[in-house]
Amino acid sequence: MKLLTYIWRNVRRNKLRSGLTILSMAFSLALMTILYGYLAMQTVADREGSKSGRLVVLNKQGFAGMLPIAHVQRIRKLDGVAAAIPYMWFGGNYKGRKMPFAQAGTDPKYAFDVFDEYKISEDQLAAFQKDRQGCVADKGLAEQMQWELGERIPLEGTYMPINLDLRLVGIFKAPGNTGSLWFNWNYLDEELKRNMPGFPGNAGMIYAKCKVSGEAAILSQEIDATFANSENATRTRTEGALILMFGEMLGDVKTYIRGISLAVVFALALVAGTTMAMSMRERTTEVAVLKAIGFSKLRVLSLVLGESTMIAILGGLLGIAGGLGALHLVSSIPAAAMLFTVPVVALAGAWLVGLVLVAATIGFVSGLVPAILAAQLSVVNGLRRVV
Amino acid sequence: MVQDVTKEYRRGEIVVPVLSGMNLQLDACDYTALMGPSGSGKTTLLNLIAGLDKATSGHVYFCGQDLGRTSQGKLAKWRSRHVGFIFQASNLIPVLTAYENVELPLTLTQLKRRQRREQVRTALEIVGLAERMDHYPRQLSGGEEQRVAIARAIATDPTLIVADEPTGDLDAKTGNEILDLMGRLNAEFSKTIIMVTHDPRAAARAKRTLLLEDGKLVGNTAQSPMEHAS
Repeated sequence: MKLLTYIWRNVRRNKLRSGLTILSMAFSLALMTILYGYLAMQTVADREGSKSGRLVVLNKQGFAGMLPIAHVQRIRKLDGVAAAIPYMWFGGNYKGRKMPFAQAGTDPKYAFDVFDEYKISEDQLAAFQKDRQGCVADKGLAEQMQWELGERIPLEGTYMPINLDLRLVGIFKAPGNTGSLWFNWNYLDEELKRNMPGFPGNAGMIYAKCKVSGEAAILSQEIDATFANSENATRTRTEGALILMFGEMLGDVKTYIRGISLAVVFALALVAGTTMAMSMRERTTEVAVLKAIGFSKLRVLSLVLGESTMIAILGGLLGIAGGLGALHLVSSIPAAAMLFTVPVVALAGAWLVGLVLVAATIGFVSGLVPAILAAQLSVVNGLRRVV
Repeated sequence: MVQDVTKEYRRGEIVVPVLSGMNLQLDACDYTALMGPSGSGKTTLLNLIAGLDKATSGHVYFCGQDLGRTSQGKLAKWRSRHVGFIFQASNLIPVLTAYENVELPLTLTQLKRRQRREQVRTALEIVGLAERMDHYPRQLSGGEEQRVAIARAIATDPTLIVADEPTGDLDAKTGNEILDLMGRLNAEFSKTIIMVTHDPRAAARAKRTLLLEDGKLVGNTAQSPMEHAS
């Protein structure tokens, strides 16, 4: 029999108590996994966004401001730009469901030049470019909605008082589930002309693809300089920077997360420590017997610390698995809600190992006082309780 | 050998004398019963001899080694090699099987797994419980539990076995079986046994009986071989 076997049996000694401690640890670690996973998602999305060599052009005032469609043409003419498209957010309801997926009006001619990592067959792309009411959807979205080519997709406007009657003419495959549906910006604009005089001609935001991704920073300055003195000045960012901007809109999330994590760790260490102390108090005679037959202080210390750490690591692993499961669900939420999606597999990294270490540390710290008390226990006093 | 031993406990300002001027010689293969009223210092004396506690003054020697001058760490090692413990309650570890309980003191030695297995088997065979080695304490009767505790005490083949009221929690019949077993350990395996007991019949099984009162040795009676055998 190894010491580890004995520790494991002690963990299973009081299944209810150990189970509850493991669950409390799991719940807290799941929460921390989700919080840190969110940060990791941002980092990965930033990195991936920067790699794409795509720029996002917004009105200087942000999402509320407009960008005239003429800006797209002017951006296309810049030397470093490979392609540019309008990207007008529609946000319509579909069959009574409120904004169930991302919908944007864009330029079918250049959309797949700007998003060149998205794959679509040539004939479907040609159909998208030819059919004014045609639309294309992400494969994941099409599967989720059980759409087939030719499907009629009616969209009911929400903040725009118009309805769109779209027909699915193509399905594209993106590296992640973007959950997006694209339709012809011209169709949207014509409907707006009929129903919202003064509103048409708005590109929404503009996506521009750089010829050389390393020149994104210089090009973004050039774009902003081009429109600096116009009525609709721009602010251009890389895709990654845009994602970070959303994060910043939530405030100093990192500080909040660290603060919450510290509080969780402290509270957990106290709870687990109390549980461990109760457990060891019940085993006073047993510890005295162990010491009587020759167990050294160090060995008793290892037994107790091993038990508390094992419980914490079990809870930690369970929580991290649960948290990753939750993140997986979050990552499967289409871009309509998240603006960016990152597969959970891309999140695997040092921060996960860090969380396991956090769990182990909580276990170690919580077991420290009971372990020292057990190691210091006088054999005579311990035996006197029963003998 | 216990030489001029005094033991006092402090309870705040109050000093409580437990043993005073105790002198005692235990020879190899002795089987000694310690008797006396409650509070007479029997268990305290047993604890000093077993290296569980240290005397306030005086010396406790074991084969020339002064236990009072030995560090706690070394005493723990010494106990694991030289002393087997039998308590009033079996004090087995409930989450370990009979085999694992007996193996526990052997995990402190350098023995290999195969050697440990042999010693555990031998110890369990001596107490007649080899067939129940995979049972947990809750699956054993009180007498069987105490026999496993005896197997644990002898697993390391110690020189000295200290027993504190080993039959105190058992009925007369089971108690007799345990006393028979202890007699065998002394007679067949040459173990030196010192046993605290309130029971005159248990004391009669020993080769000699020491009587303590108010922390002093007031009687030292050697049983005749016939008495001892009975």
